[in-house]
Amino acid sequence: MNAVDKLPAPGAALRLVSGNHACALGAVAAGCRFFAGYPITPSSEIAERLSRLLPQVGGVFVQMEDEIASIAAVIGASMGGVKALTATSGPGFSLKQENIGYAAGAEVPCVIVNVMRGGPSTGMPTRPSQSDIMQTRWGSHGDYPMIVLAPASVREIYTETVRAFDLAETFRTPVVLLYDQVIAQLTETVEFPDIGDDARAERKWASGPREAYQPYAANEDGIPAMSRPGGGYRVHTTGLTHSESGFPTQNPEAVARNLGRLLTKFERHRDVIDSWQALDCDDADVLIVAIGISARAATRALATARAKGVRLGLFRPVTLWPFPETALRAAAKTARAVLVPEMNAGQLELEVQRILGGKRVYAMHRYDGEPITPADIAARAQALAQETAI
Amino acid sequence: MSSTIVDSAAEFDVRDYLRKEMMPHFLCPGCGHGIALRALLWAVHELGMDKDKLAVVSGIGCAGRLSAYIDANTFHVTHGRPLAYATGLALARPDLHVVVITGDGDCLAIGGNHLIHACRRNLKLTCLMLNNEVYGMTGGQVSPTTSETRLTTTTPLGNSEPNFDACALAAAAGASFVGREVTHHVPKLKELIRAGLAHPGFAFVEVLSDCTEIFGRKNELGSSAEMVLRQKSELRPSAYRDTVNTPFRSNDLPTGVLSKRDRPEYGAAYRKAAAAQRADAAAKDGARTGKGEF
Amino acid sequence: MRDARVEIRIGGTGGQGLILCAKMLADALCAAGRRVAQSQTYEPTSRGGYCNSDLVICDREVDYPLATALDCLVLLDRMAVNPSWPLLRCGSLVIADTRMCPDLPEGDCRVYRLPLSRSAIELGSERVTNIVALGALCEMSEICERKALEQVVRAESPKSFLDLNMDALAEGYRLGIQARAAAKLPA
Repeated sequence: MNAVDKLPAPGAALRLVSGNHACALGAVAAGCRFFAGYPITPSSEIAERLSRLLPQVGGVFVQMEDEIASIAAVIGASMGGVKALTATSGPGFSLKQENIGYAAGAEVPCVIVNVMRGGPSTGMPTRPSQSDIMQTRWGSHGDYPMIVLAPASVREIYTETVRAFDLAETFRTPVVLLYDQVIAQLTETVEFPDIGDDARAERKWASGPREAYQPYAANEDGIPAMSRPGGGYRVHTTGLTHSESGFPTQNPEAVARNLGRLLTKFERHRDVIDSWQALDCDDADVLIVAIGISARAATRALATARAKGVRLGLFRPVTLWPFPETALRAAAKTARAVLVPEMNAGQLELEVQRILGGKRVYAMHRYDGEPITPADIAARAQALAQETAI
Repeated sequence: MSSTIVDSAAEFDVRDYLRKEMMPHFLCPGCGHGIALRALLWAVHELGMDKDKLAVVSGIGCAGRLSAYIDANTFHVTHGRPLAYATGLALARPDLHVVVITGDGDCLAIGGNHLIHACRRNLKLTCLMLNNEVYGMTGGQVSPTTSETRLTTTTPLGNSEPNFDACALAAAAGASFVGREVTHHVPKLKELIRAGLAHPGFAFVEVLSDCTEIFGRKNELGSSAEMVLRQKSELRPSAYRDTVNTPFRSNDLPTGVLSKRDRPEYGAAYRKAAAAQRADAAAKDGARTGKGEF
Repeated sequence: MRDARVEIRIGGTGGQGLILCAKMLADALCAAGRRVAQSQTYEPTSRGGYCNSDLVICDREVDYPLATALDCLVLLDRMAVNPSWPLLRCGSLVIADTRMCPDLPEGDCRVYRLPLSRSAIELGSERVTNIVALGALCEMSEICERKALEQVVRAESPKSFLDLNMDALAEGYRLGIQARAAAKLPA
């Protein structure tokens, strides 16, 4: 029995699925065959679901002793050549940071789900938040590149989970799937799209003689080929700064060369990595930039404002990091003001300010565990449209 | 590709198992870790293990650096976490033989939680803990196994904390194979590691090693040879004790195989349950078209 | 701009089965081809504490999935009154349990006090209050075909609760019909 076959075909009837459930389905569809995790609200449903799904498809589910062990086991499984996932929320995500840095530095593909809840510390376990936007990018120590995807609906959690695995495998990197508690525990009617079962990305595997193989060779595309244990290459993987050979080095030239490649390895692949939604941006007087549930509130605000003749636009980064800045600049072309509603004390706002330079960027913060409403956004955006009217 | 299995009937030559391009190694003169590494590779040789199917996962510290010297699939991971990485690797790749090399600080302090749960879980792994009583790489700080009264860079008044008996800890946590040996007796150490490697569940092997350069000098324990000889006279249990004086370590630690239990191996048990579930689902699938798990 | 959006909240405390009954209604609506978003607000305690479950129903994809202005509110505990009342609008349908929500604020909505939990107790278990409420809600709001709902409740009920749940659903419909007749609501 191939359980993937049980996934509904495109155009199949509507199904009611929660965000976390969709994540589990997406993972299995993407070829994930290993999950290690630790219970934490509001992400536990992903683990529960996969504990039932993975054995059906010959995969392994294991509940580890803590959050750190979970990410460690996931990286270990991936080093063994198996697509692997872990899921957590703020406190657990903090605990995983050192090992996420290891995966980034040693270039081990894996996917980490972070369902955002209110913080800091234990915060509000059952209430939504968007306050891990910066942590997903900068959470581990040292310089490293990161891919973060921020879906905003149940359907998109499914498709972005699949894309997270594809990007992780293609670019040998950890990928974080970041969404808020509302979307995670929201149940929506979904028509699952065809993700093309046969077209799943596989990591570039080593080939050729052992003597000629360099585990961290730059290659033409900046992405080194990985070797599977048992394949005859017997390489060394380390969190120490290493040369192309994989062995530790502190030689400044080798460090600059190899770290330099690592830090820029996504740049020439931005056409594949960047992803965003631009809604009514062509003539927008006020551009709203938002993710997750805030973006969905903005979508509704847009509709009500447009009905009144107020020209609002929405730019929603689906790939949150690296931020799709070229697309944002294009989307903001006609905007006289930019509004960033987010459920935190100001994070996305900083990146938008950085990218849009001279534009007037206004923030809208909320961190009381309640989502920002469409009415709040519509009122503020309409006021901005009037204030900045020429 | 040429065979990666060295004929186990041939005489053991450590060079068959080392990455010669990594020599000279970085261990201090007199360090006991090299002896432990040799014993491990000797046991690997005697068991006729395929280097290509051997995965060595190590943590941070002097012991953690050993993996880089072994001609196998080697993973030098984060501090304290080699058992957790190895758990993922061994579950995902049951065809590999996964060995963990860790130190007393790596295994018992920062990684203590992973040790007790690895013992409880009983996944097939061999955990080699090299105990030199000190954080050597960071300059000689007190560790969970430092004997009482010993001087370290963070116990200038002498260590006043009691130390762990790692083997008792592992056995209490449910490890199905527990053993301890000293670097003084290499053939015995090799035999113990060999038994651990052959054990079908989680095997915990503590190697009492010596840090002569840092711990030995600080505590005026003499040359490396003197420290190793003292293992025989002062550390080994009564059978080897031919002098009566203060023990080198505060515990009169027994050696050899200390605990062996027949418990189900986790990976095999999981795969068996999963296969049964698949067979059950397949049978039901043929019988009805109801709601699937999805 | 109205896009035939309907918002329903079932409010009470944790352990009353609010989320379960909202999911049942969502299932029935989904089977009928409606677009539904079902969300919940809860506190970390599994039992007790404020809890609500919201449904947003639409003919096309739901843009904002959370409640903004309720068309229907079912109240199974007084705890849910204060957080939900500001979301009501003129003419909203409110069904409140007589026993658990004795006092309600003033408002220009259609309020019905029904003995939901008492009926459940009389049927044999207070635990089926949620299903009684579901029947009453569907009768009074006409949001869902009765047959479709019965099918879902039957499919989702554990064996030991099947008969009781079906009785509870029927009792809810009966209470709804009675209330409508008393208020002379147009059918």
